[in-house]
Amino acid sequence: MKTLALAVVLAATAADSGARAEEPMNDLEIAHAAYTAGGLDIRYAHLALAVSENDAVRDFAQTMIRDHSAVNEAAGALVTELNVTPQDNALSQALVEGAAAKRAKLMTLDGAAFDCAYANNELGYHQLVNKTVAESFIPAVTVAPLKALLEDALVTFRAHEKHAAQMVAGLRCAD
Amino acid sequence: MAGAPRTVRAHDRAHEVEVRIAHFAFDPTWIEILVGDSVIWINNDLAPHTATAKDAAWDTGSIDRGDTRRITFEAPGEHPYFCAFHPHMKGSILVRSRSEG
Repeated sequence: MKTLALAVVLAATAADSGARAEEPMNDLEIAHAAYTAGGLDIRYAHLALAVSENDAVRDFAQTMIRDHSAVNEAAGALVTELNVTPQDNALSQALVEGAAAKRAKLMTLDGAAFDCAYANNELGYHQLVNKTVAESFIPAVTVAPLKALLEDALVTFRAHEKHAAQMVAGLRCAD
Repeated sequence: MAGAPRTVRAHDRAHEVEVRIAHFAFDPTWIEILVGDSVIWINNDLAPHTATAKDAAWDTGSIDRGDTRRITFEAPGEHPYFCAFHPHMKGSILVRSRSEG
């Protein structure tokens, strides 16, 4: 079953880029999008390490780099094992465009304003990615090892979502 | 009583206890061992983890997926620990002396 409704996902993920896609995604496109999402969060983390002086933010960013690198390394190993090439697609492109716009906004900030913007973005990003992986990617993929990898990755991403929520609460951004 | 079989407890010699790391949790969360026993952490998660003493007395360092790390406990006491990468992950080890065990 390769049909995957992306309109809702893209409406949220690509709000900054305005990108939309209605085409169903296949396994290779799903793999590409998941890998891309992880890579983009690593880029956010590197930006946080360059800008933030808050220990909680920096610790979170280090964790994102460490964990998403591990997940993407596992994905790379699976791709090699299966001898396939992930396919670029509208969702991956929308994620890249949306992240570029978000990074541009983040780079205009510093101090507590940056920390709160980064933390809130991480929470929202993980909420959206986790919903997409759980409700769209995992049900749609047809290759068992990819489904297993996504299920394992989701465990990690859900831990990140909780961690991000704690970071947001700890920063007291609403005060 | 000469010739009577001696009761041999499981802890008459050093043992190894496994703690599995999965779904961002230590399992079992709490263990009780005797002095000289070892704990082996096995990481089944994609993400790397550590087992790090709360008082910094010991640390497994990073444990990648599928890897194991062993710590041998030579002194009695309570050892609360956590994952340095994901501090919400917590566990505890109670090390008893062999005389009280």
